Amino acid sequence: MRARLIRVWSIPAFLAVLLTGCAGNKSILDPAGRAAADVALVWWGMAGFFSLVLIMVVALGLYSFRRRSRPKLSALEEKRLARRFILGGGVLLPVATIGVLLIFGVPAGQRMLPVPLGTPPDVIQVTGHQWWWEVRYPGAEGGEVVTANQLVMPAGEPVDFHVTGADVIHSFWIPRLGGKIDMIPGHINRIRLEADSPGVFGAQCAEFCGTQHAHMQLYVEAMERSDYEAWLAERQAAKLETLAVQSDAHAPAREVFVEYCARCHRVAGLTVPDSQWELAPIQGPDLSDIGARPTLGAGVLAMEEGAIGYWLEHHQQLKPGNRMPAHLALEPPALQAIGDWLETLSP
Amino acid sequence: MNDSSQDSSRKTAPEDTRRFLEDLERVWANPRGLGALTIVNHTTVGLRFMLTGMAFFLVGGVLAMLIRSQLAFPGQNFMAPEIYNQVVTMHGTVMMFLFAIPILEGLAIYMIPKMIGARDLVCPRLSAFGYWCYLFGGLILLSSLFMEMAPSSGWFMYTPLSSKVYSPGLGSDFWLLGITFVEISALSAGVELVVSILRTRTQGMALHKMPLFAWYILAMAMMIVVGFPPLILGSVLLELERAVGMPFFDVAGGGDPILWQHLFWLFGHPEVYIIFLPGAGIVSTLIPVFAGRPIVGYGWAVFAVITTGFISFGLWVHHMFTVGMPQLAQTFFSAASMLVAVPTGIQIFLWLATLWLGKPRLQVPMLWIFGFLFVFVLGGLTGVMLALVPFNWQVHDTHFVVAHMHYVLVGGMFFPLIGGLYYWLPLFSGRMPSQTLGKWGFWLTFLGFNGTFLIMHWTGLLGMPRRVYTYGADEGWQLFNLISSVSSFLMAMGIAMILVDIMLHFRFGKPARQNPWNADTLEWATSMPPSPYNFVSLPKVETRHPLWEYPQLPRTIAEGRHGLAAAFHGRREIWGTDPLTGKLREVIHIPTNSWWPLFAALALAVVCISLLLRWYPLAGIAVLVAAGFLLRWSWENGAHPRAAPDTREQPGNPPLHSRTLDGPGVWTMAVALLANGAFFLSLLFGWFYLWTISPEWSMPPESPLSLTLLVLAGLASSAGWLWLERCVRRLRRRQGAGLAKGLYMISALGAVQLGLLVWVLVLAELDVTATAHDAVLMVSLVYVMLHTGFGAVLTLLQGLRVGYGYVGVEAPLEPVVVRLLWRYNLGVYWIVVVSLAVLPRMIGGTT
Repeated sequence: MRARLIRVWSIPAFLAVLLTGCAGNKSILDPAGRAAADVALVWWGMAGFFSLVLIMVVALGLYSFRRRSRPKLSALEEKRLARRFILGGGVLLPVATIGVLLIFGVPAGQRMLPVPLGTPPDVIQVTGHQWWWEVRYPGAEGGEVVTANQLVMPAGEPVDFHVTGADVIHSFWIPRLGGKIDMIPGHINRIRLEADSPGVFGAQCAEFCGTQHAHMQLYVEAMERSDYEAWLAERQAAKLETLAVQSDAHAPAREVFVEYCARCHRVAGLTVPDSQWELAPIQGPDLSDIGARPTLGAGVLAMEEGAIGYWLEHHQQLKPGNRMPAHLALEPPALQAIGDWLETLSP
Repeated sequence: MNDSSQDSSRKTAPEDTRRFLEDLERVWANPRGLGALTIVNHTTVGLRFMLTGMAFFLVGGVLAMLIRSQLAFPGQNFMAPEIYNQVVTMHGTVMMFLFAIPILEGLAIYMIPKMIGARDLVCPRLSAFGYWCYLFGGLILLSSLFMEMAPSSGWFMYTPLSSKVYSPGLGSDFWLLGITFVEISALSAGVELVVSILRTRTQGMALHKMPLFAWYILAMAMMIVVGFPPLILGSVLLELERAVGMPFFDVAGGGDPILWQHLFWLFGHPEVYIIFLPGAGIVSTLIPVFAGRPIVGYGWAVFAVITTGFISFGLWVHHMFTVGMPQLAQTFFSAASMLVAVPTGIQIFLWLATLWLGKPRLQVPMLWIFGFLFVFVLGGLTGVMLALVPFNWQVHDTHFVVAHMHYVLVGGMFFPLIGGLYYWLPLFSGRMPSQTLGKWGFWLTFLGFNGTFLIMHWTGLLGMPRRVYTYGADEGWQLFNLISSVSSFLMAMGIAMILVDIMLHFRFGKPARQNPWNADTLEWATSMPPSPYNFVSLPKVETRHPLWEYPQLPRTIAEGRHGLAAAFHGRREIWGTDPLTGKLREVIHIPTNSWWPLFAALALAVVCISLLLRWYPLAGIAVLVAAGFLLRWSWENGAHPRAAPDTREQPGNPPLHSRTLDGPGVWTMAVALLANGAFFLSLLFGWFYLWTISPEWSMPPESPLSLTLLVLAGLASSAGWLWLERCVRRLRRRQGAGLAKGLYMISALGAVQLGLLVWVLVLAELDVTATAHDAVLMVSLVYVMLHTGFGAVLTLLQGLRVGYGYVGVEAPLEPVVVRLLWRYNLGVYWIVVVSLAVLPRMIGGTT
């Protein structure tokens, strides 16, 4: 089963990394948006210039050992030379560098600031939970859409992300699109990002948030505007509600779900007795469209047939310490049945 | 400098010299066996600090190896996630708090008196107390690791992750209590080093003549004094939140988790420079010696040190660029952070100029200085990159930052430290280190270090966040992580080799000759290894390079031809000199070996453990016991027979410090109050921060604090203060009549103030678990009450001491010290009244 967890260690991929160097679906140096491209450019500039500075400093130091013929300097000449070192290297060099850096560097961040625009960008709300992502589209036509661990955004236009933390501090970061912003309980932070063209990008929580910080991945996909709108339309409550209850074959699984899972997980269309809600210990991801999501457990497993059942049985081994109880009362066939039903929740 | 010429008239006969040396040995003797626990001498305490620091370094190193083993391959299960998080947290905590700072303090404690020509630090018992606090605090913290309940929320303990809800175990408590305990040691070392450097330099050593190392340590110590209190306050508040439920950082109760980050980094950024400055001080000491010429631009170096110290307090926000702050603030802190490159650049280029103008010799200590140059400059340059906000948004909290931080800290501190260790080894042991093993050790460490961390910048740029316990094989990070892990083991081998080299040298090293590196500073004028009193006699030094200009100095010092060459009175004596000019002012007789530091630290350890275990009654008792020990310790001061067996002045010497009105005790109190003031200002910052920024702050429309009672209490306090001022004025005029009675009355006024404050507290009916507002009020009132009580008790004791004859017209110093506390208390009190009770009435609360 390990192959499911992590893709096979493959020599070609390894070589590809060596060759392309900067590539990678979380690489800052493989930008897919204007803001990230600006920063990457700034990085290359700084890296180049600072390498020169480093080489110069070390060379000066090394050469002072190698110099065989030392001209005899008078005290005054020594003083003048020393002043040249100190003023040139210690004052002028840093001040000039800082000046250039601020002039070119600070504007590089402008694109990520949520300043007012002529046509206000779409807003996507992202909330960090230990250890998953809640994503809401408050502006979707026909009503708010809620999903988890998957973020879909329109390509070629700026999008405003309003982020917060539900429990501890997390950090929202899509490296190939731009900088990160912390998700802090009680605060709402805003950042503006734009994907140049459709594509899939990696993202991962960037502020240490506890046991499973490593497994808090977000699958980000940028789509053409029309695809994006279609994607949102498919997830309208009315459609999802029928999806959940349409098949009688899964009725027993639904009952078990209502009894054990619905305290934390919402599935649109399921009626849950109030008594269950009152018991809700913590909020878990909304599962209304889980069958259509690319990963499970915030990036732990790839979604494929039987994956949900497998996850339900083994999630504490796959993602030790995650907040979902082990549910030992449920036998593997029952878990598998729930998984089979959830897989059908694919709009 | 007219060392021998001035004192040569006082040539002593050989048998006199012998008797004098016997006296000196007896007075300064370090007891053996169990009695060794009472040693307060700075040489021993400094070595203890350094050895303990080394031991913690090995622990931290093993933790680092565990981390690199886990990350060597993707998807490893070498450690469970929870254990990994504990290991990561403890690696950072141990390296920062139990290795870097203490070992540098130890070096400073060991070296400073020797460099400034003193026999000991000015408060030897405080050094010993600091050491015990460090040892016990460190052991308590470390024990958590072996019980698998170590802190696991990262070494900067961000709340809410570290709060009771999300870290229910004892881990965070271990961190908060243990670190606070260890910080007592940092603060005591800081206070003591400041006062020693300012007030006990040898005769004639003006401020601008003291070795550069002393400037660096002075800056470091001042920064400890001002920089550590914010974290102590933060730790106290967070522990109160965890233990009692006072919601300082909980949004629901009107607190704000960002306040913790401010308090942490208000400490955390200066701390980076607290660690770097002594390292740079070592570099500034070694480069001139191995270049064979004085440093170029001494004044520039001093300027750079002081500027670094100041700028470092204005940069903390650059650790928080991603918390969502106004852009203007970000740009300001961005520019300020880059600006620190200027003083750093000045230092680097004056080192280069010194090498350039000298004839440098490449010996093992210099190898490390070269390693420093490469590693630290690289780290500094990536630091400038990180100060650029948009770039910071990208790489913040990735392995790029991990790499940067290690370059700065290992480069700025570890490389110079090892260079310094090699350099000063002959002083510690009287033997020379080997060249071969030392070179191997350096190259392995250097290559291993760069192999580990240079590549890690790249790992970070490819998007690997810090503190992840594992990563997927499809991320493209595996090769780089593997290189880092393999290299880290290379580095570990290098460090092992250095340790072996150092251990072997104690046995096989060639005996060193006096001043083996041909250095210029006074520590090489001591015997090797040094005696507890360092110098048989204290020379007058008016040059920056005493040993270059007067190579015979070690001999004339040992022959007792300089100052304070008498010990038959049984006192441990050092010079007290003017802070600026180094003019002789008094003879300071310093306390001798004592059990009280150990006992007081043990009592505090009981406090720490009982707070951990939530045994509050025991904690309360232990606090009282600790206070008792500390007061008992302070009892042996002034003219107390155990502090000064013979208080007569010696003809030709300046007065004893207890007979002056400006002895080092006043300075110690002043610097301690500076630390206290930093603590108080942090608290005040917290109050105004929560009031203005916290998202769900609520404040009752009417302040619960009774203004009438507060003003009455303030009047009592003001009256006490005025009276105390009058007492001191009379003492100055040598009028001691009615002193004891006056002091009792002043103490009573303090008690009245305390009583009124208790009344205020009772009337206020604060609900400290419901709102941050009430919680801050409670903490502030308790702070004021503790100080009032402390002032009253000290004044009462002064009254008693007058009765015993320990204090009076002949020994007027102590009331001056207590007066300083009263002034501070009064100032703080009125600020509290205005901020907590008056301003809310004027501006009005919200609900």
